Amino acid sequence: MNGEAILPYLIIIPLFGAFSMPIVSLIGRKAREAWAVIISGATLAVASALFYSVWEDRGIIVYTLGAKSPLGQGVSFPIRIVWEVDLFGAIMVLMVALVSFLAVVYSLGYMKHDTGLDKYYTLIIVLELGMLGIAITGDLFNFYVFLEIMSIASYALVAFRNDTWEGIEAGIKYMFVGSIASSFILLGIALLYGQYGTLTMSYLAVKLAQNPTVTAKVALALFIAGLLFKSGASPVHMWLADAHPAAPSSISAMLSGLVIKVGGVYALARLLFSIYSPLAYKALRAYGYPYINMNTVGWAIIIFACLTLIIGNAMAVIQTDMKRLLAYSSVGQIGYILLGLGIGLAAYGSHTGEVALAGAIYHTFNHALMKALLFLIAGVVIHELGTRDLNELSGLAKTMPKTTFAFLIGAAAIIGMPPLNGFASKWLIYESSAIFNPILGAIAIIGTAFCTAAYVRVLYTFFGRPSERVMKAKDPEASMLWPIIILAVAIVIMGLFPWQISEKVMLPAAKALEDQLAYISAVLGGA
Amino acid sequence: MFGYWDALYFVLVFIVGLILAYLLDKWAKKSGMGTREVGEGTKIFISGEDPEKVIPGFEHLEGSYTGRNVMWGLTYALKRFFTALRGEHTGLLTDYVSYLIITTAFVMMVLLIWG
Repeated sequence: MNGEAILPYLIIIPLFGAFSMPIVSLIGRKAREAWAVIISGATLAVASALFYSVWEDRGIIVYTLGAKSPLGQGVSFPIRIVWEVDLFGAIMVLMVALVSFLAVVYSLGYMKHDTGLDKYYTLIIVLELGMLGIAITGDLFNFYVFLEIMSIASYALVAFRNDTWEGIEAGIKYMFVGSIASSFILLGIALLYGQYGTLTMSYLAVKLAQNPTVTAKVALALFIAGLLFKSGASPVHMWLADAHPAAPSSISAMLSGLVIKVGGVYALARLLFSIYSPLAYKALRAYGYPYINMNTVGWAIIIFACLTLIIGNAMAVIQTDMKRLLAYSSVGQIGYILLGLGIGLAAYGSHTGEVALAGAIYHTFNHALMKALLFLIAGVVIHELGTRDLNELSGLAKTMPKTTFAFLIGAAAIIGMPPLNGFASKWLIYESSAIFNPILGAIAIIGTAFCTAAYVRVLYTFFGRPSERVMKAKDPEASMLWPIIILAVAIVIMGLFPWQISEKVMLPAAKALEDQLAYISAVLGGA
Repeated sequence: MFGYWDALYFVLVFIVGLILAYLLDKWAKKSGMGTREVGEGTKIFISGEDPEKVIPGFEHLEGSYTGRNVMWGLTYALKRFFTALRGEHTGLLTDYVSYLIITTAFVMMVLLIWG
């Protein structure tokens, strides 16, 4: 399959779908809902084909906007916007398209009683579009544009239910601090453009290796801080605990499952491995040239990761609001992903580093499924009972057995219990962190102890004696139940083949991310 | 790196564990002094929470087990840690911005000194 030919449709389809949504909405409610499902379904089909194409060829797909070659006429450097997809990017694309599709299907039942749904479906597809753009772009300013598309759609969706103070307050806070973080990222891009005169990531990588300046270090610091914020890493995670619970649950699933990964961790990994590279650092250091110490950067990420996984998981233990508990749990899980990423940087070139990076990518995908599942279940509970206070949900298993069973699967997976998917990815991270530095391994395990405590509380409540309130509840309608079942089944199936997935997909993805030379030569070719 | 793992083995071990637990339960019931099957003995002990007790103002929770006390030991032992954590989560926008600025300054300092 020709991946290059289908790549633009990954942006064209959702872009067309989002902007035609208000017109389609004029036909009626059913048409609008069908249109949203068709658009997100078609995007998923393209994403799956793209993933398969990249995975099969083990290559990098490059698409130049407006020309055949990214290089300018008569010059040997790229001047056009390029989209560049390696296996790591393709995994993100598949993850975004899958969870977004399920969130749209779930919304059919969940948002049934809401108004302003033409805006809702437009925004949800714009949110998907922004994330897909971030995953495929090879141009730094193009990345920023997609980041802002994603962020602005997120701010609006958090405050979508504006009949309560919670959504509006959370949306405003998220927008205000998120805009500051975005402006840090923009400032970083401006500094790099001013210094090196290019925005193409692969060419920027070459220029940076030739002349790593103090400006580049300042830009890197701004990128890291901005993207740590977008990932929800401690101590800049507090917006997340406000924003994710306040959004409608289908959106919470996308925010916690996708936005913090693609807009935060993926972008950070892309910058740190494909532009500022540990490969260049090692080579420059060996020959005595000036360099940017990526070992230090790796350790800085590790410090934030440890803070994040302890604080996030610990805060989850003491929550009584179910969605807030899940939001803090997301913070904790981001800690594991950052730990894998940090060790991947600090131990670059060793097998430990590669395994850590593979674990981080694997956990990113797994957590997207697990957290989407858990938030969708939280939505079902709110839909049925009108509360998310854990103290009022005693005995839910009696009246909502399917939902509770799915929650049990999601919770067991996120804790890292075998034979579910969370086990394999967490194992890779524990294993590599214990080999790299046993103290880090111990911190990771302490985080999991808190995580277990938090979810045991919820399960204890659900399996307790039924309170009067839950007696009226029942399992949800098909459009809400099927996305939950699909996610739960995916978690179980992925858990049964952990090492096959790890060896065939995740390790090659980690290798692709580490291979900066391939990333550069895919665009520059022999230039 | 740490050896071989197959999820299907876990399922097998889990089933064996279930059979062992069942046999142990059977054996304990046969050889024990007997279990009270009516009255106080049947009450489930959940970290000191009596499900029959009604707390004034919380009548709507009567008769329901909740998970709020399940992790009592953990939260009590780490009370100071949790209090400090709660204290930092003020919900104030200005604090969020402060943390972002502090994080940026920290990363920049680290990179400029050791980077």
